[in-house]
Amino acid sequence: MLSQWILVASFIFVGFYLLKARRGANQQAIRRLFIVIALVVGFLAVLFPRYTNVLAGLVGVGRGADLLLYMFVVFGLFYAVYQYRRQLWQEKVNTDLARALTLTQAKLDQALGESKKG
Amino acid sequence: MSPVESSKSAARADLDSVWVVIPLFNEAEVIAKVVSEVRTAFRNVVCVDDGSTDSSAALAQQAGATVLQHPMNLGQGASLQTGFEYVVSQTEASHVVTFDADGQHRVKDAVEMAELALRKRISVIYGSRFLDKRTKPGLKKRVVLQVAALMTRVFTGLRLTDAHNGLRVLSREALGKVRLEQNGMSHASEIVHQLAKSRLSWKEYPVEVLYTDYSKKKGQSLLNSINILIDLIVR
Repeated sequence: MLSQWILVASFIFVGFYLLKARRGANQQAIRRLFIVIALVVGFLAVLFPRYTNVLAGLVGVGRGADLLLYMFVVFGLFYAVYQYRRQLWQEKVNTDLARALTLTQAKLDQALGESKKG
Repeated sequence: MSPVESSKSAARADLDSVWVVIPLFNEAEVIAKVVSEVRTAFRNVVCVDDGSTDSSAALAQQAGATVLQHPMNLGQGASLQTGFEYVVSQTEASHVVTFDADGQHRVKDAVEMAELALRKRISVIYGSRFLDKRTKPGLKKRVVLQVAALMTRVFTGLRLTDAHNGLRVLSREALGKVRLEQNGMSHASEIVHQLAKSRLSWKEYPVEVLYTDYSKKKGQSLLNSINILIDLIVR
């Protein structure tokens, strides 16, 4: 079934994103593209609910509602993975910042100690 | 001065070029004793206080250590990296010894390892508790550590017998190759990974780990090795 291929490909994509995504313009473009597609698809699905059934039939899923559920799962997973990566990056930034502060404080302490002695 | 004494004081002078880095987080019960003991052999001790909520930092300072303070708790890996960057940027140290704050390492082992690194010009020396029979970890701990060592072997190709021993000696050159990004406990595998890539000379050295009731409280669980595995894959 076509839908199975699409779903498997989506999961592989999300897994790849989890392992390999680096912050950059390309990644940002992909994320924005995802959001635009989701908006457009959602819009159309609301206006023309009957066509979700047609589309579902085309890719080999029983009902339109099932198709929407599958898409929801893929998008949800992608979002979770994206947030996880973002959190890792944020932690790294926090660490670098905290370390810089710590080392600056150490330099300051040393300079103050020396000026007291001298 | 007898030849023996003069060689002893020469060794002592060499050890003055070594800095001991101790990551410190809420160890007020033992840190003063640990720092004092280390200071009997090494003049230079830096404790990286990782946002302790007890009096650890003040006690370490009173015992004669230089204390760096993280503004918040970041993890042991982050503390080590901060210590390394301090040593490289603000001292002339030739070597660094990493030493745990909970008192499970013996200063004698650290001295022997540092002297070996200085004498034989070995860039990295890893302490291992499994090279002889002195250390008696329980069965559970043994399994956890063997799994960790096996994982390290698979990931780095380095045939270490004990991958998660906090006692190590690194030369200044080796420090230049290390950039720990794993803030938590996964740094122990990460440091081996980065040093293995550098292809610097290395050796394992038998050490004894003292399992006091105090240090036992702070051991790692088997499930945590899954965390370490995932940390190493997803970066």
